[in-house]
Amino acid sequence: MKGQPVYYINGIGILSPQKTFDNDAFLTELSSYHENVLTCVTPEFKNYINPIQLRRLNRMLRIGLTAATICLRDAKVQTPEGIITGTGYGFLDETAKFLRELLQQQEKQLTPTYFMQSTYNALSGLIALSVKCMGYNNAYVSRGLAFENVLDDAMLRLIENPDANYLIGAFDEAAEVQYSASIRETYFKAEHIHNLDLFNTTTKGSIQGEGAAFFMLSGKPSDTTWCVLHDMQFIYNPADAEEVKNGVAAFLQKNSLSIQDIDLWVDGASGDIVRDSVIKELAQTTFKGIFHTRFKHLCGESCTASSFALWLGASIIRHQHVPDPLKLYPEKNPAQLKTVLIVNQYMNKNFSFFLLRQK
Amino acid sequence: MSQRVFITGYGIITSLGKNAAENLQSLIDRKAGYGALNVLDTVHRATLRACEVKIIDQQLFEALNIRTDTGFTRTTLLGLTALQEAISMAGLTPEEVRSSGLLSATTNGGIREFEKYYYELMDPAQRGDFVRFTDTANPGEHCERLADFVGIKKYIGTISTACSSSANTLMQGAQLIRHKKLDRVICGGAESLSKFTINGFNSLMILDTEHCRPFDSTRKGLNLGEGAAYIVLESAEEVERSGRKPIAELKGYGNANDAFHQTASSPDGKGAFIAMEQALAMANVRPNEVDYINAHGTATENNDLSEGLGIQRLFGNRVPDFSSTKSYTGHTLAAAGSVEAIYCVMAIQQQMVWPNLNFENQMPELSITPVRQLKRSASLTNVLSNSFGFGGNTSSLLLASV
Amino acid sequence: MKKTVDELVVELRAELIKQLNLEDMLPEGFNENTPLFGEGLGLDSIDSLELVVLLDKNYGIKLKDPKEGRHVFYSIRTMAEYIHQNSTRV
Repeated sequence: MKGQPVYYINGIGILSPQKTFDNDAFLTELSSYHENVLTCVTPEFKNYINPIQLRRLNRMLRIGLTAATICLRDAKVQTPEGIITGTGYGFLDETAKFLRELLQQQEKQLTPTYFMQSTYNALSGLIALSVKCMGYNNAYVSRGLAFENVLDDAMLRLIENPDANYLIGAFDEAAEVQYSASIRETYFKAEHIHNLDLFNTTTKGSIQGEGAAFFMLSGKPSDTTWCVLHDMQFIYNPADAEEVKNGVAAFLQKNSLSIQDIDLWVDGASGDIVRDSVIKELAQTTFKGIFHTRFKHLCGESCTASSFALWLGASIIRHQHVPDPLKLYPEKNPAQLKTVLIVNQYMNKNFSFFLLRQK
Repeated sequence: MSQRVFITGYGIITSLGKNAAENLQSLIDRKAGYGALNVLDTVHRATLRACEVKIIDQQLFEALNIRTDTGFTRTTLLGLTALQEAISMAGLTPEEVRSSGLLSATTNGGIREFEKYYYELMDPAQRGDFVRFTDTANPGEHCERLADFVGIKKYIGTISTACSSSANTLMQGAQLIRHKKLDRVICGGAESLSKFTINGFNSLMILDTEHCRPFDSTRKGLNLGEGAAYIVLESAEEVERSGRKPIAELKGYGNANDAFHQTASSPDGKGAFIAMEQALAMANVRPNEVDYINAHGTATENNDLSEGLGIQRLFGNRVPDFSSTKSYTGHTLAAAGSVEAIYCVMAIQQQMVWPNLNFENQMPELSITPVRQLKRSASLTNVLSNSFGFGGNTSSLLLASV
Repeated sequence: MKKTVDELVVELRAELIKQLNLEDMLPEGFNENTPLFGEGLGLDSIDSLELVVLLDKNYGIKLKDPKEGRHVFYSIRTMAEYIHQNSTRV
């Protein structure tokens, strides 16, 4: 692996449908849901955002700015060199508020707040404004690959300047609008389920989730380092499971690893009987016999759920244990948790691999 | 590591024309795309004009040879029109297309169709043809459609940093090439007019009801436009391997944040200054070697003052020729960065400087004046293209002759 | 019956708190003469656009240029006086 740049996750801040905003507790309390929409467990926003700012921020901007603030504090970084965000649907409910007013009022007497807050870079701009970061700023909106694009961007920039700190993150809201529009197409399950039973279902569709996760990525370790992000790669629109299998093999080979070097793999199955087909095949072939866990029953499905998985993998390495709610297969603790591979999928069309290692 | 990044093709559709040749001719003829709104259905037709592409969706479908029931949004149709021209200008083989990356930008994606079928889409009990637009409120949808249609497989991404979006696709495309992740990336953006956009900008009270006047002291705001533009970027190695002739070089780029206000630029143009300075430093070009600046120049009070001051600060008393071609195309939002990068490439190819239309009155706060007449036989080596956006995003690209 | 300036002051105060989410953030000593922008309450250009729409929706007054708003929106009292003089609706 010589010559390959190394990336350190030196801070994390995450809000999700689980109580994850406290970095000292690792899934010690579990939130369960009896409907198919999972929304964020949030702390008191005013502990993170000043009241003047708070006044006009919509819910997702509050969640995002809070996650970013927790991350900055965790990493002990005041102003990062750059800020990059990713999202699938952005602030879709905000978009819809403006749209409804527009339609109801025949395009008259509209105020700009909803419009402004629906722009996809509203969060990256807001964070820059809050921490006075005049450095690099970018926002990706690539559906199931948005967070992966963010990582690619930051990783290339860190090759140029390994000392820099990039605040990178992802957010997606459980938008009512997305739910209503796409349930017809079975993106979400027609029947109501309990989130913890997600992987026992045999129907099409997943459950809707949301969250905001921020990471401080640097080419240099610090005393706040969680783990090493060794590599990340994605496959867009594979023709078949074979292509993904070959992708995993090539990814491991590029990183001079064999499948036996993986202490735990985390898969992005979404509980959709059809759209999980490739992930299931990987479990039965490539990853047969490797310790294995899943996560979307905890955070729900969203375009940027891989950011939850990245937090999860980093936490497992940091705490050196796999908490109960994760449903480990087989049900015993691995001998060591030094190398974790995340294989996420979105709608069976976007696949991504994240390789994490202990510092 | 330092792979040089070359431009080997481009494609464009705007209110000036449906391809590169028509756009070029309009620039030379001072023919702006500004006029009555008659393709988009909006109550503002009576009072607001815009720079609309005067081709209805049906004709776009036909020209692309796509069935009309496929759920392609106008944004995607405009995008495909430009993307296919870019691929064909560069002469890429199907295998080369497949192994390319695609980075596309949009602020709206398919909101035009989403708003049209909003009530139907919001009622899960309803069935009908509208379901083909289910996911059109997702900004990444258009990019996947584009990639799947032309057969791009290797890498995709969508960027949305408001009005600087497609400048950032060019920047990231160049990053992917410089660091040898990809040999070839097609970068750009697509945007169609929608009620959502028109009313959004109208609610911000920054739309001029007359033809916009960038850098003029009487400017009252911007005109909205629509269009799409894509540029083929390739590594030096790939250019050599394929024997393709590079048209220009993307030599430098800068990206900064003004960190001043959610929608306004700082009064002193600090973000603009930093972005331009970075682009020059990366290209190893001194300010006095820049021959033309295609300004962001939206014709809002705030932008033109901020940008003008940023330019003056960087170039001192030797400010190069500059103009805003938004006086031709209106503000095409996420597409503006790649539209204007192409106009810069055309300027280098033709050795011409495009005029800033509608300029009459000097801004008292600035000592600089945009170019008012088409300049022929200009000697253009290094050209800057500025793109700024809400959220404080400022980007600048340095394009050079080869 | 036309509303008095004082009645408008009371009405506007409530309306502003609601429209601009000012609940819990009004400073000590805030009254109808406190400047709404800058050193006073600290509202910004987006708030002034919200106020432009509020004038139009509630009182039928159209400001064409947000800059006209600068003196109108100086304080709750100046707003009330302007509405009193210009609105045909109250």
